[in-house]
Amino acid sequence: MSEKQKDQDLSRRDFMSIATAGSAALGAGLILGQPQTAFAAPAASKSAGHAAIPPGWANAFQPAATAPLYPPRQAPKMGEKIHEFDIELGISIHEIVPGIKIHAFTYNGTYPGPEIRVPEGDWVLVNFTNRTSEFHTIHWHGIILANEMDGVPNGTQWGVGPNQTFKYLFRAQPAGTHFYHCHNMTNLHVQAGMFGSLIIEPKEDLVQRVFPYKREYTLLLSEVDTVMVEKQMEEMLRMMTTMEKMNESPKLMKEMNGRMMGWFMNKKAFLDAVKAGYIPPYVAANTGRNAIPNFNFFLINGKAYPMTEELFIRSGENIRVRLIGAGAMPHYMHLHGHDFWHVCQDGSPLQSPVRLNTIPIFPGTTSDIIIQGTNPGMWHFHDHSDLASTNNGLFPGGMMTMVMYEDAAEHGVKVPEIVQVNS
Amino acid sequence: MKLFSRSLLTLGLSLLICSKAAFAVQAQPVPIPEDPSVSPQINISGVGLGTVGYDKNGEVQSGKGNVNFSDSALQIGGAQKLYEGGGVGSFGMGWLTIDESNKGTTSPFFLHQAFLDYQDEKYEALVGRSDNLNAHLVDFPTLRGDDLITLTNPLNPFSNGKNVEEHRYANVAAFTLNQNLKYFENIHAQHLINSADPNADTGLNSFGVTFQYLGAPGLESFERLPSWGFGYERINVNSKSSSGVNQAILGGIVNLNESVVNRLELGLQNIYTWGSDLRSFSTITDTFEADSNAVAASIRYLHTPFGRPAYQVSLTTGYKNYSKVSDANSYGVALTGVKRLGHGFDVVAQYQGQWRTSTLSTAQSQGLGYEQRAEIGFAFNFDATFNEHIALRRTLLNQQHHYISD
Ligand SMILES: [Cu+2]
Repeated sequence: MSEKQKDQDLSRRDFMSIATAGSAALGAGLILGQPQTAFAAPAASKSAGHAAIPPGWANAFQPAATAPLYPPRQAPKMGEKIHEFDIELGISIHEIVPGIKIHAFTYNGTYPGPEIRVPEGDWVLVNFTNRTSEFHTIHWHGIILANEMDGVPNGTQWGVGPNQTFKYLFRAQPAGTHFYHCHNMTNLHVQAGMFGSLIIEPKEDLVQRVFPYKREYTLLLSEVDTVMVEKQMEEMLRMMTTMEKMNESPKLMKEMNGRMMGWFMNKKAFLDAVKAGYIPPYVAANTGRNAIPNFNFFLINGKAYPMTEELFIRSGENIRVRLIGAGAMPHYMHLHGHDFWHVCQDGSPLQSPVRLNTIPIFPGTTSDIIIQGTNPGMWHFHDHSDLASTNNGLFPGGMMTMVMYEDAAEHGVKVPEIVQVNS
Repeated sequence: MKLFSRSLLTLGLSLLICSKAAFAVQAQPVPIPEDPSVSPQINISGVGLGTVGYDKNGEVQSGKGNVNFSDSALQIGGAQKLYEGGGVGSFGMGWLTIDESNKGTTSPFFLHQAFLDYQDEKYEALVGRSDNLNAHLVDFPTLRGDDLITLTNPLNPFSNGKNVEEHRYANVAAFTLNQNLKYFENIHAQHLINSADPNADTGLNSFGVTFQYLGAPGLESFERLPSWGFGYERINVNSKSSSGVNQAILGGIVNLNESVVNRLELGLQNIYTWGSDLRSFSTITDTFEADSNAVAASIRYLHTPFGRPAYQVSLTTGYKNYSKVSDANSYGVALTGVKRLGHGFDVVAQYQGQWRTSTLSTAQSQGLGYEQRAEIGFAFNFDATFNEHIALRRTLLNQQHHYISD
């Protein structure tokens, strides 16, 4: 037995010694491996008196821990639960704050799309129907699934065309906070609203065990350049309506010859097109459609302050807040008057909770935090990169909300609820 | 100037959008102080057109060479999103070079735009110097906007004939209503520029209505009639003809080939003028007033492989006759080629000829029975928007997915 293996065994024994919750927890722990031992290790070093064994990462390390719980390429078997969702994509008008509306791509009419919440290990079947003229997909971010279900257009699948339906089928794993988004022209389509949260509830919620909570909030963080979205959606609509018309007519389809969109079957086809007179867009000076977005609104669940939704809490209560970096920029969420616990990252529980007052949320990441009701009042919770606390360049606004104590008054806090739209 | 950029941009009345507008140097204090941090959207656009050519006119035995840079234009504009209803306020100002400027005899620039414009989803109001509305119903694909102008434009009976731009631009007060940004009904009062008798104050001397249909923007290839319209103009000319002049104009574009790569379209227009008592011409101005019928047609082929314009060839023809003046027929033809070298930059070539019978040539072209010109040169179109924050108005999104009123 190598030293490393010995360490693993020991750490596992540590886990068993404190995991008094019973055999169910033990079973889950053995399968999940790292996350649960990670949680257990620090407690073990304190209470169980294994002073000789340093706590933490080295002890908990298991090389196979990121392997999926369920083989991703399996199909559903008799008796396994399948949760079916219909998601239809359309173009709707979305209001960010009063006076600011944009045309948006919306899954089931909302910006962001609906939350999908399923128990770990169950199957998810999403019937995704595209009611726009553009191509779209749904990428299941952070999910370990069959390659064909990953939702990357011209990669794992063809983009879902106008009025087509694509059935996404995957098993809900790994547990935790995840999200989904369109992977076609991602920059534009996500700004236009194509993202939503995907919560996989673990069989055994360690966070719940350590920080019992009843209420939880999911905050999808993103940003938008409203001018760019309006302009590029119009461009896309014109181009894709043209493509649709061409698809309907054999004569026009011949004209298109697979080259109107700048898509080619392979490198040779691209080079042949260049010989035949195709001028790649990057040859001319690039302004307009290829411009870098100049974000002017910063959103929590599609809304900017003061229209963001507040988080409610009572003294002594724990609330769980799932923060999702759905956009293209990092955000640094800071809570006034409190420290909080960072408990999960990208869905998985941390080795041990980390105490913070500001947490960076990078694009593509998710962080779960526990806010403990320890200081009654009306507290600001916002991106501390002040650029994002603005609406159209004006402070305050953007990625900001309030943590509101429902019992603040009982505790003598007389801070009025003020909605401020200009400093 | 009329290259394929025109087909890619908006046409006719829809030109009166914020992107065309300009921004003023504030000479006057505004009555209400404003937040200086709110800056308008700024637009600068221009057309450069320079050709070297050879003219051969009537009985002149030897022709002569020329350099022509007329119809080059520069426009600046400023636009601001208004507080309510998706309104946009804008100001535009523009200058273009005229034929005379080639000779260096007069001021090189003609102020063709200086207007204020209000628009929201349903309405538009414009006041100032701008397009003579019925003169821009159909834009024929000639090199310059004023090529074959006596055949393709309703004419200004107050012009002394020195500057042809006086037919195309006027002092305008206009109100336009639209349905779904497709059907536009315009009512307007104009002061047609009076150069024939600058001492006479003719005030608002022209009143009219225009109807225009504009199809789905960017999808002109798929509509049989992507744009068409008609208009009526009542012009109060009191000097010689007692009853005033009426102009009726009807025109449009017919799409002959449903194709994205090989666009082929026909432009058609008829201008009927009646109500003048003139039975002979004593000045060139009379030729702009007398009862007449002018028909014009063009055929335009635009080759757009890979979604990018490559070249355009067009033939524009026109014929005009005067109903009360004899021996005053004219016809003209322009064969125009444009090859795109880069974004907005073209090499251009055109042959044009105009023939007039004797009564007309005496009054209109110094007795020259025909004028012909062949020319070749370059054209450059550009359009840049700064501090962009106003979305376009006539878009597919607004037409198909509800207009955004905020
Ligand atoms: Cu998409």
